[in-house]
Amino acid sequence: MSSLRSDLRLAWELTRGSDRGEWWRVALTATGAALATGFALAAVALAALRGSYRVPVAAGLLDEPGTRAGVIVGLLLLLVPVLGFLGQCARIGAVHRDRRLAGLRLAGATPWQVRRIAALETGLACLLGSAVATALSLLLLLRQWDRPTALAWVGIALVAVAVPLLGAAAGALALRRVVASPLGWVRRVGPRDGRGPGLLFLAGVLLVAVVALLTVTTTSTAAPNRPNGEPPLQLMGVVLAVGAGAVWLSGATAKATGRILAARARSAATLIAAERLRDDPWSAARTHAAVLLVTVVGTGFMGIRQVLSDVVRTERNLAESASYYTTGLDLTGAAIVVAFAITLSGLAVGTAESLATRRRGLAAQAAAGVPRTVLGRALLLETALPLAPAVLLAGLGGTAIGTWYALLGDRPVPWAIALVPVAVYAACLLAAATSLPLLRRSLRPGELRYA
Amino acid sequence: MIGMSTRHILLGLLATGPSHGYDLKRRHDERFPQARPLAYGQVYTTLQRLVRDGLAEVEGTDSDGGPERTMYRATEKGTSELARWAAEIAPPAPFVTNEIFAKVVVAILAGGAPAAYLSAQRAAHMERMRELTAVKAAQSADLATVLSADYALNHLDADLRWMNTTAARLATLTAEVDAA
Amino acid sequence: MSRPVPVLTASGLVKAHGRTTALRGASIELGAGEILAVTGPSGSGKSTLLHCLAGIVRPDDGSVTYDGRRLEDLPEKRLSELRRTEFGVVFQFGQLIPELTALDNVALPLLLAGTGRAGARERAGEWLERFGVRGQRDLRPGEMSGGQAQRAALARALVTGPRVVFADEPTGALDSLASEQVMTALVHTAREAGTAVLLITHDAQVAAYADREVQLRDGAVAQLGVTA
Repeated sequence: MSSLRSDLRLAWELTRGSDRGEWWRVALTATGAALATGFALAAVALAALRGSYRVPVAAGLLDEPGTRAGVIVGLLLLLVPVLGFLGQCARIGAVHRDRRLAGLRLAGATPWQVRRIAALETGLACLLGSAVATALSLLLLLRQWDRPTALAWVGIALVAVAVPLLGAAAGALALRRVVASPLGWVRRVGPRDGRGPGLLFLAGVLLVAVVALLTVTTTSTAAPNRPNGEPPLQLMGVVLAVGAGAVWLSGATAKATGRILAARARSAATLIAAERLRDDPWSAARTHAAVLLVTVVGTGFMGIRQVLSDVVRTERNLAESASYYTTGLDLTGAAIVVAFAITLSGLAVGTAESLATRRRGLAAQAAAGVPRTVLGRALLLETALPLAPAVLLAGLGGTAIGTWYALLGDRPVPWAIALVPVAVYAACLLAAATSLPLLRRSLRPGELRYA
Repeated sequence: MIGMSTRHILLGLLATGPSHGYDLKRRHDERFPQARPLAYGQVYTTLQRLVRDGLAEVEGTDSDGGPERTMYRATEKGTSELARWAAEIAPPAPFVTNEIFAKVVVAILAGGAPAAYLSAQRAAHMERMRELTAVKAAQSADLATVLSADYALNHLDADLRWMNTTAARLATLTAEVDAA
Repeated sequence: MSRPVPVLTASGLVKAHGRTTALRGASIELGAGEILAVTGPSGSGKSTLLHCLAGIVRPDDGSVTYDGRRLEDLPEKRLSELRRTEFGVVFQFGQLIPELTALDNVALPLLLAGTGRAGARERAGEWLERFGVRGQRDLRPGEMSGGQAQRAALARALVTGPRVVFADEPTGALDSLASEQVMTALVHTAREAGTAVLLITHDAQVAAYADREVQLRDGAVAQLGVTA
């Protein structure tokens, strides 16, 4: 216990003495953890309900087990962009932190001690986020629900504890190479292959998917004969298949784009961006994968929404009031918008981090007279180039889903949804552009002085 | 190359085969480009002593169309003496004789200007270093030239570093010398 | 001996970083085609002087004149263009883009100047050849030795045919042999092209490659060396 306390103190001292990048990581990791906890708690609370209830929010959508399952799945799917966001946060100041922990190893810390310290750093940030989110969620829940069931309490406790624990585990896992070779990491800041974290993300997505499927099957047992039980499952299968492909696709397109453009680049900005992509195509794969997923889901949803609105407007004999359906659609839409916002934040954080890591090199470029505009353009191109083919493909996938749904219901094909990927692409560029002021600040000659 | 044994260098040059005095001087100056050139008289007297000590002997005379010249070659004793000398380590600075340090101390004792002296000495050292660097950086420079210039440059650099730290600590040194 | 016409003149430079003053009225003159060493102990303001002279930072007071133009009157955009076209810079490390090959790194200034990719790469190859690192053209900076990377950096600094090259401890991270190769390459090329070099170093053996030495002490010029 005393060793844990000394590790804890060391972790705290190290974080306190570190620069602003570390504080950003802690703050953003805590935010991500809070979001994850919030979504998971809502899902758990809903999953704890069995059979029909009268839930005073969302126009009766939460009353029936079937639709409730849909909402739960939606909430769980929101965890996917949050995972992407957390992955991006973990990279903030990563080079710095890796060196510091490797330094600890050189100073005689055992691999386990280093792992514990790293796990404590991440775990504490997650604990902070999870505690805040749990407290807020409980306040909200107790207002809506007089007497939550024992199952709900167990679920809530489980989520509140699991988030920091998973965070700590991920923190320790991300450091396996630092722990293995302290010397290499002190000396060299080489490009990493990035597949490890990408796999971590994929594993997270799979976990979410399995949980989501379980939820649908268990909560739907109250009404096993519902005729609409199958299409949502099929839809989810499609979304998952597209999503799993997305991680691979975004890395692969980044690599291919880099390779093709590097050979043909005519301008300095394109050359720099292309070579960076070729060198480390996986660095942004997680966020880009989340962008792709959001694009697929968003485009597909817009199609479905248009078809369903058309149905609600034209059909006379609906089982429920029109607001029941529109609320459902609006809720889903809101969830997608939230997911997209989180993804964009992840993208912005990733771009800022990539800038911060390269501060000294960028300052040297500026000193050598490389115009700021060229460096800025290269930065934007790094996001724009690999995303273009990927978003295009994802847009096609989403449009296919929407079209398929329209044809299924024998409704007019919603062509307007093809605009969604364009909007997504533009928003991503804007998110990346938020780093441009940071670029200006990075190009200080003071950066030239130190190793 | 202070304190270097001219005897052994000549023995070394004779190791490649018999040679006469003028040829030995020419080859010496070629081999050791930045060293002080050998005077012919010095070569002659050294050869006489080598013969006296049985380390070299006269091979014969050779006129080669010009004036008559005496050819010398190393004896077996000379060859073994050369091998002994070449393998013997040079004593690493047995006595610290440092003219610059002596001048600094004397300047303090006599109430002179040690700082000004060090500064001027430093400039002279730099000047010599620039000359040697120009010699070694010339495109025509062969490796022997580069290496001998490097040897001198490293020694001058060591002096220079010593002068820099001494200049920075003159006040303490003055107090110490004056107190004694 | 007569001094060459000055190409770069600085007078009374003052520059503070926060609460520490790096330069307190430093004045210096660099002749056309001259190789000038600036030496001095750590913290004497050597790097800050180079940054001011190269128009990378603006001094708090004092003036830098290049080719009849006062740098403090130029907007950042023009300064950047000046650094790109008429100056070259070499630092101890960091000036090569780690993701680009040696060849593309050297070609970069030409690309920025509007030369086509093929032409830029061809000329970059010639310059790598001059510095004896053509064999490393397809390697990235991390794959080269320190000396090779610095020679590629010199090629990059000289490829546009600048009038002044600023070198801040270019051999600071190298052993003596690699340092000798880098300095010989720099001096030969600069003399051949008539490029002036401002060389910052704390190493007397590196400073000895210069025509002249200027010593900095506490942010001002301490003593002028003898003109060679």
